[in-house]
Amino acid sequence: MHTNGTRSELFENLRLELRRGCLAVAVLGQLGTELYGYAIRKALSDQGLAIDENTLYPLLRRLESQGLLVSQWREEDKRNKRFYRISPAGEEVLASLLAEWRQMNSALERILAVPAVSPEEQKQ
Amino acid sequence: MSNSELINRYLNAVRPWLPRKQQADILAELAEDLQSQIEERESAAGRTLTLDELAAVLKQRGSPLRVASGYLPQERLINPAMLPIYFLVLRVVLLWVLLPILILVSLAPIVQSGHPLAASLRFLAAVWQTPFFVIGIITTIFFLVDRYQDRWVDRWDPRKLPRVPASHPQMQWHNDFAGFAFGSAMAFFWAVTMWHRSAFVLDNGLRIGLVRVWGELYWLILVLTASRAAVNLYCFLRPAWNAARSWIRLALDGVEIAFAMVLLKVPNWVEISGPKVAPADASKLVGLANGAMQLALVSIPVILAFDVYRQGRLLRRAKDGQSAPILTLS
Repeated sequence: MHTNGTRSELFENLRLELRRGCLAVAVLGQLGTELYGYAIRKALSDQGLAIDENTLYPLLRRLESQGLLVSQWREEDKRNKRFYRISPAGEEVLASLLAEWRQMNSALERILAVPAVSPEEQKQ
Repeated sequence: MSNSELINRYLNAVRPWLPRKQQADILAELAEDLQSQIEERESAAGRTLTLDELAAVLKQRGSPLRVASGYLPQERLINPAMLPIYFLVLRVVLLWVLLPILILVSLAPIVQSGHPLAASLRFLAAVWQTPFFVIGIITTIFFLVDRYQDRWVDRWDPRKLPRVPASHPQMQWHNDFAGFAFGSAMAFFWAVTMWHRSAFVLDNGLRIGLVRVWGELYWLILVLTASRAAVNLYCFLRPAWNAARSWIRLALDGVEIAFAMVLLKVPNWVEISGPKVAPADASKLVGLANGAMQLALVSIPVILAFDVYRQGRLLRRAKDGQSAPILTLS
């Protein structure tokens, strides 16, 4: 049996796994318009998807190194900021990911719509 | 300390952990993000952040190593799927190969030393690096296997997978028969030849004297050799494995290991003398005979340790139900 501590740790691990792929989709989706790091974080947070800085910036670099984002340093408000935008390749991948996500989401909805059957009911 | 200095200290602490080529770029972006965050807080508070508030912001961001770790390549030394076999190999090599070798090498000097504790410590000081060296070699091999496994991991044939062990493994009858024959002969020889004997005298007058311990242990040795022969006979007649059979063998192994260890503490097992043998030659012969005896006594626990391992494995496999078929197709 799980104690409360291990259960919350278990939940946290599963939550992180669940979020990992979704965050990449969210960032790609957000960067249809050019934004810098702090603004990306604010925009995602304002829409209900809080993301840690230590997750966002490495993710941005990874997506850029994979050719899904492009970036450039530019001055704004007298400060140099690195602006990111989705690349054409990123748009294609995003479309495929969204199709995959929608398919998975509808499958999950169907699975979860089926009422749970207890082992006793199964025996009957 | 100023706020600016605190931020620079933080950024400087992150720097050494970052990939060299991207250091400047990552730090510039990190600095910009921190600045944006601080500005927002200052704008909400209507004042400059205090040093404590700024320290709290940095603390919340995470330790320099944690921040940098996100930018580092996610590498592993060994494939997690290989970890069970890695630990198994480590266990087998360390416990069943290295440990018996170390015991074998160390026993004679320790037992013969006048100060066994000091001799043990000297031995440990000389060999303590060996396990680490062995672990290093095994880890390196697994690392290389993990690196190059793509070349062979998918080359497999379901028909060439190892056979599932039979639910009641049949032991090798010739081993048991040989054990019975040898054990019976040994028990017979011991019972007849060694009864009340203190020496063997050869035709040329050479006298091989047996030290007193052999007489004291006469009955114990006879019981042990006869028991071993009886167990081997039982195993030969009932080749199907059962748990009792392993437990009996384990008990006998344990007693014999203890017996060999006790006997090893005896300084000399034979004495040689004769009218035609010079004292120097006699001394050499005694040295040779006792050396051979010592080697024989040391090899007993090592050989028996393998049997202990084998019987333990059989018992564990039976307990885990590993030998039961998983699926039966109708």
